[in-house]
Amino acid sequence: MTPAPAPRVALFVTCLVDLIRPRVGFAALRALEAAGCTVVVPAGQTCCGQPALNSGARAEAIAIAKRTIALLEGHDAVVVPSGSCAATIRVHYPELFEHDPAWRGRAEAVATNTYEIMAYLDEVRGWRPDTALDATATYHDSCSGLRELGIKAQPRRLLRGVAGLSLTPLDGAETCCGFGGTFCVKYPAISNAIAGEKAAAIDASGAELLLAGDLGCLMNMAGKLHREGSPVRAYHAIEVIAGMGDGPAIGEDA
Amino acid sequence: MSAAFSRRVDAALADPILKLAIDRTAGTAEAKRALAVDGFAHFEQARTRAAAIKDHVVAHLGHYLEHFEASATAAGAQVHYARTADEACAIVIGICKAAGARTVARSKSMLGEEIGLPHALAEAGIGRIETDLAEHIIQLADERPSHIVWPAMHKTREQVSALFKQHHTAPHTEETIPAMAESARRHLRQGMLGADVGISGANFLIADSGAVCTVTNEGNAELSLVPPRVHIVTAGIEKLVPSMGHAAQLLRLLARSATGATLTQYTTFYTGPKRAADPDGPEAMHIVLIDNGRVKMRDEGLAEMLRCIRCGACMNHCVVFRQIGGHAYGGTYPGPMGAVLTPALDGLAASRDLPNACTLNGKCQEVCPVKIPLPTLLRGWREKSWREGLEPATMRQGIGAWAWVAQRPRLYRAAVRAAIFAMRRFGRGWIRALPLARGWTAHRDLPAPDAESFMSRYARGER
Amino acid sequence: MNAREEILGALGTAAPPPGAADALLADPVRPSVAEDRVAAFLAALALPASGATHARIGSVADAPAAVARYLAEHGLPPAVFLPDDPRFAADWSGFALSLAITPDEPAVIAWARLGIAESGSLVFETGPHAPMLPNFLGLHHIVLLREAAIVSHLEDAALPGPQPRAHYWVTGVSGTTDIEGQYIRGAHGPRFLHVLLVGED
Repeated sequence: MTPAPAPRVALFVTCLVDLIRPRVGFAALRALEAAGCTVVVPAGQTCCGQPALNSGARAEAIAIAKRTIALLEGHDAVVVPSGSCAATIRVHYPELFEHDPAWRGRAEAVATNTYEIMAYLDEVRGWRPDTALDATATYHDSCSGLRELGIKAQPRRLLRGVAGLSLTPLDGAETCCGFGGTFCVKYPAISNAIAGEKAAAIDASGAELLLAGDLGCLMNMAGKLHREGSPVRAYHAIEVIAGMGDGPAIGEDA
Repeated sequence: MSAAFSRRVDAALADPILKLAIDRTAGTAEAKRALAVDGFAHFEQARTRAAAIKDHVVAHLGHYLEHFEASATAAGAQVHYARTADEACAIVIGICKAAGARTVARSKSMLGEEIGLPHALAEAGIGRIETDLAEHIIQLADERPSHIVWPAMHKTREQVSALFKQHHTAPHTEETIPAMAESARRHLRQGMLGADVGISGANFLIADSGAVCTVTNEGNAELSLVPPRVHIVTAGIEKLVPSMGHAAQLLRLLARSATGATLTQYTTFYTGPKRAADPDGPEAMHIVLIDNGRVKMRDEGLAEMLRCIRCGACMNHCVVFRQIGGHAYGGTYPGPMGAVLTPALDGLAASRDLPNACTLNGKCQEVCPVKIPLPTLLRGWREKSWREGLEPATMRQGIGAWAWVAQRPRLYRAAVRAAIFAMRRFGRGWIRALPLARGWTAHRDLPAPDAESFMSRYARGER
Repeated sequence: MNAREEILGALGTAAPPPGAADALLADPVRPSVAEDRVAAFLAALALPASGATHARIGSVADAPAAVARYLAEHGLPPAVFLPDDPRFAADWSGFALSLAITPDEPAVIAWARLGIAESGSLVFETGPHAPMLPNFLGLHHIVLLREAAIVSHLEDAALPGPQPRAHYWVTGVSGTTDIEGQYIRGAHGPRFLHVLLVGED
């Protein structure tokens, strides 16, 4: 067998990126290709099933997981621009099939091959961006990526490669922003109180831009910042890394 | 969201004093724990060992109970077993009555709260002196604890001052916390020393010696348990450890995780009643070993929860607890550990909100000294709630319909197109109000979707 | 079925495999203690969480003078509660000695069997000559400890053989953070802890 010159990577864009902010998907494409990958976007992809999983709807989560596994099998890697969706596949799919010998192996094979995009670019590809953006930014560590996948240093290493970008620390960067998937609409008052504190911390950082690796958390924080009249603008970190940080921020009409 | 939970949450969020009080105590605890963990090399390995010790005990709980019973009996203590909270209270009240007790001094025990002991004592007409400062404040206010380590966390100094002035015979005159503590010291001392029975919980039960270990920082356990004629211990059966050496390893983690201290100020191992020649100590020691649902927890997927050593770190670090405080949870135990325990103790139907009102951010598991996978256990309750049809119909139908569509890509694409069209009617850029997402737009703006989805643009060849 | 039978029946009482519990004692993960245990103990004792003071004396015979100095420094009269314990044999004639503990005892003397360097703890046991209550009542807790009795770790504190009614570790003074998390010394019991380190042996 001749080793492939470039890894064949399946991009799973996530349902939120597909619906709300396609730019994140295109930024992911651009960065992966710059890092020497051959990117395919499996056409049948929808959602990883996390809302069902976290709502306790196990049968629904399993049904969606089976589809998604079948769709993502057979690639050199599966890359996801979201820590929580990547963690659903990487950490929770194998749990769902713990007692199902027919699917367990397939789930584990896809799981071990699935990466959050910044972890993949940094750790697997050892890639550094060659892009620029004159701005000060602060970074929020989304919880699933941080605690389930250990994503902390990778985005910062990549962002250091963006010329002109200066990163300023965020007080409580590892504190949950109050999004929590369906939590934010099931318990809106609690979610809002948490988001309010997060927005205040972001404002206090003095940064122009808020960056993170999960669109759900970003929508929550950016939505709260905008409601409160804050000038801070928000991007998925991969947009900035891929050289698309000069486009419209989250909530800015394209 | 149940009406009762909603009411409690709204009340908590509307109370600026509560937020201030929670942040003062939990914020301090969080900072001090971080320093303590930094100062303990190999903290991570210590957590792994601690979890292994508890797992070992939980797996052989019956053996260690028998061993403990034999050791404690040999040391002169009387050991009782109780299946339920009511059975436990009946045993305690029976012992108090047989001893002719008019007053008991109680050293804070969350298990006592769990089984409703304060209420049972009141019903039996037995006076109760709460000797832990926070429990004293709670007793004066006629409230329930809002935290397992700081039961009066929700009270500000101003509120404590007012309570003491109302109830203490010679209250403080200076409006400082030290002066208030001094007022409580004066007030509690005589009652404590004159009680007929002392009641404590147990932090650890040592199987090979029959010792009961309590930890306090105030020394109130000892003041409550030495002078009375009778010492009663109420303990959950999961408190066992094989030996003092096992307890030592857990004690190191308990204090650091709870308050950031190296060790609690007073760590006492009580083995039986006073010996004949001892100058002080109780004449009788009773130990009530209480199940109250623990066997069932072990056998029905919550064995890891029985590792819990009640340090409170999970709640101090929980973004939800920090906003709503302990009372909003409505059970004996608040925060993440409470959200796992309360459905087991009070039934899931009455408490299904607790495992749901959590962002699953994982911080609780990260700080847990015995590595309880709290998010996994909370997700387990959500699954049970879903299976048993306890989740609201709108949620069931919504998730059900969405999951059905998510398995049919062509239909899914059409649904995405429809959603984009519908959402963009409410705004471009930012949406300030969206009827079906009021939970979101009541508090936050919602970014409107781009005109066309990623998958659609990609399919057209855009890169 | 009674509660005992039902609980033990549901749990099963099979013993763990031999050695399983001991394996969880081997190589405990714990803070390392410097080779100079006495220095480590004194350092832990002085940490804010403990906040204790100490003085070194050559032998128990020097204890009365050291106690008198301590009390004078705190503006207290030479009056103490002294347990009826032959280990305190010395000339205490300059003191008013309480024979029974009173609720507002200003100063209490006690003998610690061990000191634990890891945590700065003092280890006590109840016994015919060692009442427990005074150590939790007095405002000033003055403890004699032999330098040679300082051990490294918590595990070293265990008393072999039959246990007394109470075996207890005192780490600092009676403290509370129950009002707004603010640390207050002397919640119920001692507000001051003073260790007299006895050098003989």
